[in-house]
Amino acid sequence: MKNFTARQGVLAFVVLALVFLPLLSSDTFVLRVVTEAVMWVGLAIAFDVIAGYTGYLNFGHGAFFGLGAYTVGILMMKAELPFAVALPAGGAVAALAALIAGFPTLRLKGAYFAIATWALSRAIQQLALNMDITGGPDGMRLDAFLNPQFFYYLMLGAVGGTFLVLWYLLERAPFGLKLKAIREDEEGAKALGLNPTMLKMQSFILSAIPTGILGGIYAYWITFIDPSSTLGDLVSDQAVVMVVFGGMGTLFGPAIGALLIFAFKTVFWAYLSKFQLLYLIILGALIAVSVVFMPNGLWGTMLKRRNTVRREPEAP
Amino acid sequence: MHEPFLKVDAVTKCFGGLTAVNNVSFQVQKGEIVGLLGPNGAGKTTLFNVISGYYAPTHGSITFSGRDISGMPPYKLAALGIGRTFQVVKPFAGLTVLENVLIAAFLRYPKRADAERHAWNILDKTGLTDRANVTAAGLTLAGRKRLEIGKALALEPTFLLLDEVVAGLNPTEADKTVELIMQLKNEGMTILIVEHIMRVIMNISDRLVVLNFGEKIAEGTPAEVSRNPLVIEAYLGEAAA
Repeated sequence: MKNFTARQGVLAFVVLALVFLPLLSSDTFVLRVVTEAVMWVGLAIAFDVIAGYTGYLNFGHGAFFGLGAYTVGILMMKAELPFAVALPAGGAVAALAALIAGFPTLRLKGAYFAIATWALSRAIQQLALNMDITGGPDGMRLDAFLNPQFFYYLMLGAVGGTFLVLWYLLERAPFGLKLKAIREDEEGAKALGLNPTMLKMQSFILSAIPTGILGGIYAYWITFIDPSSTLGDLVSDQAVVMVVFGGMGTLFGPAIGALLIFAFKTVFWAYLSKFQLLYLIILGALIAVSVVFMPNGLWGTMLKRRNTVRREPEAP
Repeated sequence: MHEPFLKVDAVTKCFGGLTAVNNVSFQVQKGEIVGLLGPNGAGKTTLFNVISGYYAPTHGSITFSGRDISGMPPYKLAALGIGRTFQVVKPFAGLTVLENVLIAAFLRYPKRADAERHAWNILDKTGLTDRANVTAAGLTLAGRKRLEIGKALALEPTFLLLDEVVAGLNPTEADKTVELIMQLKNEGMTILIVEHIMRVIMNISDRLVVLNFGEKIAEGTPAEVSRNPLVIEAYLGEAAA
């Protein structure tokens, strides 16, 4: 029990610090970095719904982000709709994409699902590069709304809300256990009254909606989107790395992984930008090492250690 | 008994050119234990998979409580009251024993608190209470076979398909499982069981259905079947018959 209250204390401190940060620091660089860090936490936990809980490694997660970003960009700039209308539409478009992509791809397993989703996301990037409405390779510019505090709180609210919804659905409601049953043994799950097709689709859509919304916020915040920044490999790859390093199939793991890796990246690019190449090498090595030595990720390894200390040795 | 509880009517299942089950018909009455017997490769597990919805029959039909269930997916059959175990056990290895049973309990008890109460009862019944918080991967084979039964029971089925739940257990463990099966029968459960261990299947079955090369070669009480020359031939060869 002591462990649990300590965790609650840390959590409360982090939440309070995040809420009051803009009052403590007027440095826009700090605010910008933290806004992006919060965004990555959101992307990582959303990715973990399908990858960690359901066991379907989605290498096209970035496509949902890009679709959300482009939906907001197009609706605001071409249809001149307000942001408040465009943002939910970003989430809806991502959900629709998950529904359409899910039908063929969720039948696949393991590496085949990863390859298929990766290929689909590349196809979407090519579409964005070749269509007029997206501005092609030149990207799109959105009208600037220069209010860092607004975007900080919007991002924090979106990610905080996502975290709470996912925590309830995955850790409290039966839904999370049902997804894990699919991950562990799909055929066995069927005999217990679970409909895997339906559950996988729900999981995929649940993963897509917050990702599309975060993409939409990102577009309006950064005011410039192009196919490589929002639809490139980077978003998917980074999410994979954060979740694998932090610990798949949990919510705290990906959140911690996202924060640590984003902090590392920021420090590296801010102070050691001459060695950019080295960043990718270190990141790659870190992933290889964590997969080999901590297959449950940072958080999973910590939980396991705590549980084995607590649990009495098993009788044979 | 006018309407049989389960009616397997002329069921054939082909895989490409191979006919794994050929024109098999039999019935199960409510409250009976029917044993499905046959040498390796006779089509017992295939027939199980057809009845439990994992395969659609190529020809023929299956009626359960007066309802045609041929080709219905397993998760719908679970809701109708059919529970099954797997010969090759399918535990959710990374989850705890309690969670394994809980997942099945959600079918009848959508609220978590109710489902947990139900799951603890099932663990008690299957003798897994002291293993509740161990991951399923940490169970012995006997434990995993009990967990299979526990998961099927958590669905509150009226009809249970048991696929080799005794094979591979030592005599003490086997007796415990047989005891559990007899207890379920006394509570009114209808059971179709595949088992290789003759001592077990001869003792607990009310009736036996014997398959060989996908076809039904005999049906009757254990005493009748064990005298049937076709059955003796299938098991011991032509000379013995």
